[in-house]
Order: sequence, then C-alpha cells, then structure tokens
Amino acid sequence: MMRMKRLILATVLVVFGFVSVNAQSVFDLRINEVMLFNRTSYIDSYGERSAWIEIVNTGYNSVNVAGCFLTNDISNPMKYRIPSADPIALIPQQQYLVFFANGKSVHGTLHLNFTLDSANRFIALFAPDGRTLIDSTTLPIMDADKSFVRMPNGKGEWQISELATPNSTNELFAGHVTAGEKFVKFDPYGFIMALTAMTVVFTALLVLYRLFKLTARVAQKPIRIQFRKSKQAKVDVVEKKMEEIPGEVFAAISAALYFYETEKHDQESTVLTIERVSRRYSPWSSKLYSLQQTPNRIVVHRKLN
Amino acid sequence: MEQSGSFFSFLIDNLTQFLSFTGFANFTVGHGIMILIGLIFIYLAIAKEFEPMLLVPIGFGIIVGNIPFTPGYQIGVYESGSVLNYLYFGVLKGIYPPLIFLGIGAMTDFSALISNPKLMLIGAAAQFGIFGAYMLALLLGFSPQEAGAIGIIGGADGPTAIFISSKLAPDLMGAIAISAYSYMALVPVIQPPVMKLLTTKKERLVRMKPPRQVSKLEKIIFPILGLLLTTFIVPSGLPLLGMLFFGNLLKESTVTKRLADTAKGPLVDIVTILIGLTVGASTQSTTFLTPKSVGIFVLGATSFVIASATGVIFVKILNLFLSEGNKINPLIGNAGVSAVPDSARVSQVVGLEYDKSNYLLMHAMGPNVAGVIGSTVAAGILLSFLA
Repeated sequence: MMRMKRLILATVLVVFGFVSVNAQSVFDLRINEVMLFNRTSYIDSYGERSAWIEIVNTGYNSVNVAGCFLTNDISNPMKYRIPSADPIALIPQQQYLVFFANGKSVHGTLHLNFTLDSANRFIALFAPDGRTLIDSTTLPIMDADKSFVRMPNGKGEWQISELATPNSTNELFAGHVTAGEKFVKFDPYGFIMALTAMTVVFTALLVLYRLFKLTARVAQKPIRIQFRKSKQAKVDVVEKKMEEIPGEVFAAISAALYFYETEKHDQESTVLTIERVSRRYSPWSSKLYSLQQTPNRIVVHRKLN
Repeated sequence: MEQSGSFFSFLIDNLTQFLSFTGFANFTVGHGIMILIGLIFIYLAIAKEFEPMLLVPIGFGIIVGNIPFTPGYQIGVYESGSVLNYLYFGVLKGIYPPLIFLGIGAMTDFSALISNPKLMLIGAAAQFGIFGAYMLALLLGFSPQEAGAIGIIGGADGPTAIFISSKLAPDLMGAIAISAYSYMALVPVIQPPVMKLLTTKKERLVRMKPPRQVSKLEKIIFPILGLLLTTFIVPSGLPLLGMLFFGNLLKESTVTKRLADTAKGPLVDIVTILIGLTVGASTQSTTFLTPKSVGIFVLGATSFVIASATGVIFVKILNLFLSEGNKINPLIGNAGVSAVPDSARVSQVVGLEYDKSNYLLMHAMGPNVAGVIGSTVAAGILLSFLA
C-alpha cells in the first residue's frame, strides 16, 4: 500500500513537473509579426503568397511549439493544432517560425487550416491544453505588404511597419530609432552627455559627501558626550596622543596581528622525514576511547557558597 | 575482395571526415593570431604578475575560444546549447558583474572615504575619462551605443565595462573587456607620467592629515545611505550599486561574517573564473581582429589618461579652496579611477619617490573606492540615455 502511494506521488510529481516545465517554455512564445495582405512579400515553399504569422521564442531554451493551437476564432481555440511529429516545430532560443494562413494545411505543418483577411483579423496562440491563451492580437486594416509588428522585438507594443521582416528581428528596418540615435541627433559631439552625466555624478557624490559629514557629526556625538562625562583633561591628552600616532603604525600593528593569527612562520616545527615515526600509545588518540564512548550522565557538583 | 574494397573506401571516407573536423583542417591565420594574444596574456600574468587573477582566465579563454572546429556540433561559445554558451549566458545577460560587485562590496573598506568624505569628489572628477572617451568615439564614427560602451573603459572597472557593453554593444564586448582589463593591469605604467606632468615638486610633497577613526555605526550607515541616495538618482545602476552596497553591509554589520566571507571569497572567485574564461572565449578573430578593436584600444588608453589627468587637476583646483593643513596631495587624484587598489598603490609609490616618509596609500583609498561608486553611477547614466 505504502509502495503504491509512493508510486502515485512520484507519477504526480513527474506529470506536474513536466507540465510546469512545458508551461514555462511555451509561455516564452509570442506572436511577433503578422502580415494580412501579402502581394509581393514572403513566399512559401510552394511559391505562393498568403497572409503569414511569425512566432518568436523569446526564451533562452529551445521551445517545442508542437501541440499548441493557432486560431482566428476566439470561440474555437483548437482550430489548428500544430502537429507533434514535425521537428520544424522546435524553435531555438531567440528564433522565429512563420506560419502561412492560407487554408491549405495539407501543404504541411506551417500551413494553417484557416485564412486571414479583412473579415478575419484576429489571431491567437493557445497552449497545448487548448484553454490557456499564450498570446493574441487583432490586426488593423493595413495596406498590402505592410506588417503588424511588436516593437521592440518580441515584447513591445504593436505597430504597423512599412517593411516586413519574416524570420528575423523586427528591429532590422521599420525606421526604428534607438534611444542613443535620438540622443545623438541633439548632441552629435557628446558635450551635452558629458556635461549632464558629470553633473549627475558630482551631484550624487556631493550629496553623499554632505550627508556623511552630517552623519559623522551625529555618530560621533554620543562618544563626545561620554568623553565629556569622564575626566575631561585626561581624555584630551589621550585624544591628542591618538592624533599624533600616524596611520602607518596602526597598519603595522594590524599586519603583525594578521601574520600572528594566520601563523605564517619562516620556520616550521614540522620535520619532513622518510624515517618511520614511532608514536607512543595515548588514550587521547585512541579510537577505542573516541568512538566507543557511552553517554554518561554528567553530574555537576556545585560548590555551595 | 569487393567487400574489402568497400570497407577501405568506408574507412577512408570516415578518416577524411574526421580530418575535416580537426582543428588543423579548420585553422586560419586569425585563429593563430588570437591564440598568440591569449599566450601573451598568460605570459604577462605569470611572468610579470599583471592582474594574474584576471589575465590567466581571460588569456586561457582566448585560446579556448579560438580552437578551430566545424560549426554545428554545439562546441563554441556562440553555439546555442553548448556548455560554453550556457556559461556565456551570465556575461551576455549581465549576471556575473553584479555578483562580482557583491564580492567587491564585501572586501572594500570605505573607512578612508567616510573619514574624509570630500575625497568622494575626486572619484567623481575622474569619471570625466568615460565621457571624454565617449566624445572621441563619436568623433571617430562609432554609434552612440558603441561610444558609450567604449567610454566606460575609462571607469577602469572590468565588471562595469562588461555589464555596460553587454547591454549597449554586445558585439564589442570582448574587445572592450580585454581593453579594460589590459589597461587596469597597466595602471602602474600609464598613470605616473601623467601625475608627474601635472604636478609641481612642492605639490607632490604635501602631507595630508591622518584619517580619523571611523565608528562602526558610520560604517553600517554608509552602505544603506549610499544605496538609497545613488540608486534614487540613477536607478539604472541598481544591479551594480545594489550588490556593491549589499556586500559592504554584509561585511560591516559584523553579524553576517559567514555571508561576507562567502561573497568575498568563494563566490567572487567562482564568478571571476567564469567571467574571465567566457569573456576570453568570446573574442574570436572574426569579431576581434578588426579596425574597430584597434579604435577601442586607442580610445581605452586615452580614457585612462583623461581620467587620471582630470583627477589630479581636480585636486589642484580643490586645493585652491582649502586652508593650509587641510590641503590634499594631488598625487592621489589619479586614484579616482576605480582600479582598486592598483591606482591607490601608484599614488603611494609616486609619493614615496619624492618623500620617503609620506605614505599616501590610505588617503588614496578614499578616491579609489569613490571611483567605484562614481563609475557605477556614470554607467547607470549611460544606460538611461543610450539603452
């Protein structure tokens, strides 16, 4: 019975472990780019042009998209199941897979059994359980050969792009200007950057400097009060003497203490020999005494008074 | 007879295939040059003791990364799924630098800085090296992100350079990291001429007041206040600053000795090995032996010179406002670059050349550790503007 329970527990753990690992992986997938009207853009292996959907694996492990569902109808999430047998469904880290929405699933794994057009502009990706939505988007009406992309690639907001980038990052073209490029437009020689950054660095350290001056006063106050309560004159002499001792003396004392504590000697007491070393028997090193001790009650004799 | 013939052709086919997979068949001149560079690094580290903890892993990593092989078998650092690729993930995603900062925090004593807080300003002034190199890089035609990543070499902080280049210009990371670590190792060669050129004999003899004793309370307050203040100003520096101050609190609180020992000992050692090896392995001839790398090395050296010079000049300006007896020796200005503790050691050595009893090491440690904070804040600003 116990064995049976363990078996069930192990099975449950394995199943849940598998599900959670699988779930973690497929949730790295995103719908990254969609083209609604393909006139002169991407061609499938049959030489045909159709609407296409690009899925990106944003994770850093390969993700198998097989078993997931693509649909253009939210009421029918399991419209197209991506076949499991095809190795093409394994998307390497940070890579892409393009599906053609041409209604010709007989052409292979990448060809969906539905189409996208001005009436069907919704697209969704569901997890293998057919219920969990991974990602979805509704396309706006776009001109031919324009694509609807996430910017920044794989994680950003949706926007219409003039140039399509199937099977590659959306940041290749699309007139995407990086923050640095924007900055350099205003500051081509870097003067503003240098001035701003140096001001910030100085401000940060200046404020820290002021704060620490203040903290030093506050932190030293209790010590001062304590000193004042004791014999003032004596303390003054001690303080004066302490000030006279240079830091190097403290450093030398510290170094000496360090070497003493870490026991770095020029000469060691140990002798290296190939001669047989005779050791006299001692109960302190005997296994008999160290391993076979029986627990004894310790009686503590208190000394009265 | 026919069978033996087919067996031999099978054997020859396999041998030919095996030979085509060997390093000899895939060897190029680029591989040879890179392996030579790796060997030079190892030589400098072992024979000359230039930053051996870094140059040995990096040098060996360069050799590992430039062993020729047939692509597609999950061997190389850039091949998805390879062991080296998994280790390189920590560099690519900026995981290792904050862990190194945790260790740096746990081993840094900020007492010199706390006892004389105005030394913080020298640490700020020396950061001009970063932005001077940024401006020069823009002039030479580097993109703004690349210019920012190159500029950070002037911070003289290897982990920060790796962290920033992984975010701004991952393609240049190998060259930037190698350049940063090389110049950090060459601090005793680069800085003294700059220091001597910018100071008079009288200035070099200035004796500074011995630092006061710092209470435990101040040492505990420092990392907390430092974190709150710097990260509220530059939140993008949080991964580095957060770990730096956290490590320091572990040390100064004195109740987490085991954690502090791990952070400054085994943890930082493990991460140093991983970061050195993988950064070295990421430098491949195709990306490293380019005119851009030459530009990076020239700009790196320039940024070190600018940083050292601005640190010294700033001290001279500061001295104009300080009373006699409170003046600062300008020879500690170079320590504002955060090559800890090498640049502070340079201050000490140059100072002793002119006065055998003028020990500047403890004073120079103040701007030196302030330089760590300053370069991290500067890195945060670069990230905010350019990422």
